[in-house]
Amino acid sequence: MKTPPLLPPNDARRGNLACVGMGMTLGSHLTPLARSHIEQADVVFAALSDGIVQMWLQRMHADVRSLQPYYQVGKSRMQTYRQWVDLMMTEVRAGKRVCGVFYGHPGIFAWSPHKAIEVARAEGFEAHMEPGISAEDCLYADLGIDPGRFGCQHFEASQLLFYQRRIDPTGYLVLWQVGLVGDRSLTRFETGPAYRQVLVDLLSHDYPLDHEVIIYRGATLPIEKPRIRRVALRDLPDIPLTTEETVVLPPAEALKPNLAIQERLKALDKLDKADAFA
Amino acid sequence: MSDTIDLLEAIGRDASLRHASTEELTNMLEQAQASKALTSAAAHGDSSLLFAELGHIPMQAPQITQSPCHEEEEPAPDADDEPDNLPAPDPGKSSI
Ligand SMILES: C[S@@+](CC[C@H](N)C(=O)[O-])C[C@H]1O[C@@H](n2cnc3c(N)ncnc32)[C@H](O)[C@@H]1O
Repeated sequence: MKTPPLLPPNDARRGNLACVGMGMTLGSHLTPLARSHIEQADVVFAALSDGIVQMWLQRMHADVRSLQPYYQVGKSRMQTYRQWVDLMMTEVRAGKRVCGVFYGHPGIFAWSPHKAIEVARAEGFEAHMEPGISAEDCLYADLGIDPGRFGCQHFEASQLLFYQRRIDPTGYLVLWQVGLVGDRSLTRFETGPAYRQVLVDLLSHDYPLDHEVIIYRGATLPIEKPRIRRVALRDLPDIPLTTEETVVLPPAEALKPNLAIQERLKALDKLDKADAFA
Repeated sequence: MSDTIDLLEAIGRDASLRHASTEELTNMLEQAQASKALTSAAAHGDSSLLFAELGHIPMQAPQITQSPCHEEEEPAPDADDEPDNLPAPDPGKSSI
């Protein structure tokens, strides 16, 4: 009888990938599980929005490689994000436990973590995403908004310009990356007032120009307070805005009752009641 | 002098410190022998004052999700865009 081998035939250690969220605020949001992924990784890649948060991450692991230097003005960000995926996958293929750390939630308005996980899985590697506290989560808390109250649409601001979308002014509208709205080249890190004017013109089909718009920046350091600016929609082009800010439009109209459906439901209720007594 | 990153982490994880008034926080930092930069950043609610101590690493925030020019079929990066050729981030550039 042949003794079976004690180790599976390909006993080389398999690489794996975890994309985790750092949350927004240093010290406040990192989950125990995300921290454990970072600590147990062989190599950590970081795409964070705050240099001091990156220094904090460097305390947790000896090999933290920043993905920031791959950004360059004049270079397509898509190319940058592809490089990020390649960098992470090269280490995974080399048998390393790789952790990609992204600010906020790694899967919210972020292309490369989803892509890297997809590629890793397609190649047979184990890959996970661990959620984090995103700018969206902080926004709900700091602005006192419940997305379930009137419903809430989220768009990358440029998508609203590039594609025909249906805006519902009876719910909240949250616009991401307004600071570089309309950048078709993907090579810039900000666009100016003229681009935001195009956005305002588009929004003015659904909102009055004096409608209040909230420009929000959540704290990334725990000594900061959230920055909340309220301006009229017409003034949005001329307000200095960073790519770190998110723009929120509260509802402009009351919810409209759907009387036809309500009638239908009423009829169903009647039937139900009649059945119950039958 | 206490370590600034450790102190920031301690503030971030402590319910009474994270939402303390500026005055309480500044007092606590003075007692904890925080650096001048951290104490004045907390006192003014201006984290850019920390750059004096920790340096300034400009960071970019975007990660696009879609646009007409960013379809999946886009060609792979050229060889001359290899990371080795990339300059280090410019420490003088303002962060966006
Ligand atoms: C590509 S998304 C990344 C979001 C991130 N993955 C998250 O979970 O929050 C970048 C956009 O997030 C928003 N954002 C980033 N930092 C922010 C902050 N500190 N406060 C508010 N919004 C922020 C802005 O709309 C910015 O343009």
